[in-house]
Amino acid sequence: MSRRRALARYLAARLALVPVMLWLIASLVFLLLRVAPGDPVDAVLGTRAPEAARAALRSQLGLDRSLLEQYGQFLGNLLRGDLGESLNSQEPVARIIGQSLPASLELGITALLLAALVGLAVGFSGIARPEGKIDLAGRLYGVGTYALPPFWAAMLVQLVFAVWLGWLPVGGRFPPTLVPPSGSGFYLLDSLRQGLLGGDWQTLAGTLRHLTLPAGTLALLLSGIFTNALRLNLRRALGSDYVEAARSRGIGERQVVLRHALPNALLPVLTITGITVASLIGGALLIEVTFSWPGIAFRLQEAIAQRDYPLVQGIVVVVAALVVLVTVTVDLLVALLDPRVRF
Amino acid sequence: MAGDCPSDLPLPRPLRLISRLAAGLLATGLLLQGCQLQRRSDRLVVATSARVGSVDPVRASTFGATQLLSALGDPLYRLGPDGQLEPALATALPLVSSDGLTVRVPLRQGVRFHDGTPFDAAAMVFSLERFLAIGTLSYLLDDRIASVRASGSHELELGLKRPTTVLPELLSTINLTPVSPTAYRLNADKALPDRFVGTGPYRLTAFSDQQQRLEPFADYWGPRPRNRGIDLISLGNSTALYGAMRSGEVDVLLSTGLHEDHQQALAQRAERGDLRQGQGPALEIGYITLHTDQPPFNNPTLRQALAHSLDRERISERVSQGLRPALRNLVPPAVGASNQELWPAYAPARARQLFREAGYCHGRRLELPLTFRSNIPSDRLMVLTWQAQLARDLDDCIVLQPNGMESTTVYRQLGEGAFAAVMLDWRGAVTDPEAYLFPLLSCSQAEGSRCLKGESALSGSFWTEPGLQQQLVRSEGLAGDERRQLLAAIERRTARAAPYLPLWLVSPRAWAQPALATPRFDGNGRLLLQELERQP
Repeated sequence: MSRRRALARYLAARLALVPVMLWLIASLVFLLLRVAPGDPVDAVLGTRAPEAARAALRSQLGLDRSLLEQYGQFLGNLLRGDLGESLNSQEPVARIIGQSLPASLELGITALLLAALVGLAVGFSGIARPEGKIDLAGRLYGVGTYALPPFWAAMLVQLVFAVWLGWLPVGGRFPPTLVPPSGSGFYLLDSLRQGLLGGDWQTLAGTLRHLTLPAGTLALLLSGIFTNALRLNLRRALGSDYVEAARSRGIGERQVVLRHALPNALLPVLTITGITVASLIGGALLIEVTFSWPGIAFRLQEAIAQRDYPLVQGIVVVVAALVVLVTVTVDLLVALLDPRVRF
Repeated sequence: MAGDCPSDLPLPRPLRLISRLAAGLLATGLLLQGCQLQRRSDRLVVATSARVGSVDPVRASTFGATQLLSALGDPLYRLGPDGQLEPALATALPLVSSDGLTVRVPLRQGVRFHDGTPFDAAAMVFSLERFLAIGTLSYLLDDRIASVRASGSHELELGLKRPTTVLPELLSTINLTPVSPTAYRLNADKALPDRFVGTGPYRLTAFSDQQQRLEPFADYWGPRPRNRGIDLISLGNSTALYGAMRSGEVDVLLSTGLHEDHQQALAQRAERGDLRQGQGPALEIGYITLHTDQPPFNNPTLRQALAHSLDRERISERVSQGLRPALRNLVPPAVGASNQELWPAYAPARARQLFREAGYCHGRRLELPLTFRSNIPSDRLMVLTWQAQLARDLDDCIVLQPNGMESTTVYRQLGEGAFAAVMLDWRGAVTDPEAYLFPLLSCSQAEGSRCLKGESALSGSFWTEPGLQQQLVRSEGLAGDERRQLLAAIERRTARAAPYLPLWLVSPRAWAQPALATPRFDGNGRLLLQELERQP
C-alpha cells in the first residue's frame, strides 16, 4: 500500500473514531454531573425556596423527567448541533461558548507561541557547550518552570507586576473604561484591525496590556516543556550516525546543526505541542481564574459550581472536539513531515 | 557524540540570542508601560467579585445582578439609607381596603423608560405579570398576590390572597422594577438576559457577565447621577480585587467576595485616611443549625449548653477583627429585632453545668461534628477558632470535629438531616423580621416538637413547637405593636429552645479611592452608584 493511501486510511480511521469519542465523553459528563451532589435548582432559587417553587422550576428545566429521558433528549439535541440553554441565564449554550472560546483561544495561542519562542531559544542555547553553564541554566529553567504550580506562579506574577509595580492590569480582558473591539471575538485581531483602519491604537494597547500577564505566565509555565524536549532531542540528533556522516563529509558545524540535526529534533517537539494543547485546558483554568480572564475554562469552573448541566456538557463536548481536532492535525503534520512514520 | 561538539562552533551565539530576546521583551514591557491608558476622570470603575449572568429582573437573584438592577431600574418603593420606606415609582404608600384584600398603588406620572416610551399602570401590570409568570423568585409573591390590574392610567390595583403587612417591603424588591412593554414585547414569556430597558438613573449600554457599562439616563425623573457613568467589573478572586484597589486600577471596591484579611487590610487603610470606607445595613446573619430531631441535639439542655459555650465576641475579633459583630438573635437589629441579646450569652461555667446535667464531662466528652462550607474562608476560620476556644474552656466536656464540605453539597443534604450541626448564613428577601423567622421556623407538617415538612425541616433543624406555626401565620395579618409583640414572643421561645445559634452579622462595605466621596448604601444594602462622585 502506498504511503499516501496508508495515510488516508489512518486519517479516516481517526476521524471515524471522533464521534465515538465525543459520545463517550458526553455520556460520561452527563452521568457524572447527575451523580455529583448538588442541585441546579439551588443555584437558581437559593436553598430556601418553597418546595412548590422548586418543583415548578425543576419541571420547567426538564429535571423532573427520568434520567434516561433526559439523556435521550441530550443526545438527540447534540446530534442536531443543539447544545441547549444554560439553566442559570437561559442563554443558548452555543452563544456562551461562542463568546468565551475566542478569549481562551487568544490566550492559549499567544501563550503557546511565546512558550515555543522562549522555550526553544533556551533549549537551543546550551547546545554549543553541553554540560556548560548555559546548558545547566537551560536545564534548570526547563525543570523549574515545568514544576511551578500554576496557581502560585500566577498569583506571584500578579502581585509583583500588577499590585506592587503597577505596570500591568490585575485582571480582565480589556480596560473597563474603553469599548471592547467588535468583530471576531479575538480582541488582538479586532483591535489591530481597528488600529489599521481607524487609527485607534489605544484599543490595541489596552488589549496587549491585559493579555501580557496571563499569556506571559502561561507561556512561562509551558516553555519548560519545549526547552527540555528540544534540548534532549537535539543532543540525541547530534550524536546520531547521519550527523557523523555529515561531519565526515566536511559540512560545517553550523550547517550540520541547522540543516541536519535541528529539523529532526523538532519533529518530537511538534508532537509535544499537540499534547501541550490538550494539557493547556487544565493549566489555563487556573490562569483564567487568577487573572479573571473570561475564557471557556473559567466558564466551565463556574458552570460546575452552579451545576449548570447543559453548559458543562456543552463546554466539555466542544473542548473535547477541539482537542481531538488538534491531535489529529498534529499527527497528520508529523506524518507529512517525517517520511519514516508508518501507519 | 553530542558531548564531542567542538567548543568553537560557529553557531549563532546563544547568549546573544537570549539577550536580544530579553531586550525585546523588556522593550515591549516598557512600551506597554508607556502606553498606560490615561484613566478618564469622568467615569468610575466599580469592582466586585460578583458576575452577572442575567440582567433581566425575572432572572436576577444574585447580589451582582440586584446591585446592577438597582442602578438601572426603580422599584415602586425603596428603602433609604436610614432604612425608612419611601415611595419611588409610587407616589404614596399603598391604600389598603377594609378587608385587607385589595391594595391600590398610585403611580408617578411623567416617568419615561430608557427607550423613550412612557411609564404607566399598564407597563407596571405587564412587568408584574411577567415576573409572576416566569420569575425565578416569583414564589415571594405567588402565595400573596391573586390579581394585578390597572385601575387607572397611573393607578395599580393588586388583589391579595390574604392580608399582608409586609406588602410595601415586598414591592420594594428590585426584581419588580418595571420594564418597557415595547422593548420586552418579544420577551413577555422568556428572559432577556443581556439587555435592560427600565426607568432607572442609568441606561445599560454594554453588557457581559464580567463587565457592564452604565451611562446616565438624560430623561430620568429623579436626581441626576453625580458621575458621568459607571463601569462595573467583576474580578475572579479576592487577591485580584484587593490588588486592583491598591494599584488604583478601580475607584470603588465592594466587599462581596473579599476575604476577611483583605477586608481588614482595606479597613485599616481607611482608618489611616488612604481610602474612604462606607458601610451598609447588616442584613446577613451567620448562624449554626442544630439537628434537633436526632441525638445528641434532641436534648434541649445540651443545646443550651452549646449556646452558652459560644464566645461570639472572641470569635468575631479573631476571625474578622470585629468587622462581623456578634449576634444573639436571628433577626438583625437593622430589621427590627425585639431584643439584641436574646440568645444565651457566653458563660463557660454555666455551659459546664448544663453539659454535666446532660451527662457529659464525667469522663465522657461530647464529640460534635460541625460541618462548614469549605469554599467560604470565614466559615473555616470560625470553626477552627471555636474549636480552639472549646478546647481551652471545656476540654473535658466537648470536642469539636470540623467537617469541611463544598457549599452545594451542604445545601443539597441540609433538608435530609445529614448534619448534627452546620454553619450557614441567611439574608431575608425583605427587611422585615418575618423574612428571617419564616424561612427558619415555618413548618407545614409537625409531630409534637418535630417538624416533618416545611422551612424548618429544609433548614436542617427540624424544630418546631405546638402553636408556633399558628403564631407565625397570625403575625402576617397583624400590624403595629400587636405584630411586634407577637414576633418578639416567637423570637423568645426560639431562643429558649436554641435550635439555631446566631453567631454574627455581616454588613456590606465599600471602599473608595481618597479622591472620591464616601460610598453610601441604601436600606437594602446596595451601593448607591448614582451618589458616587469625585470630590473637587
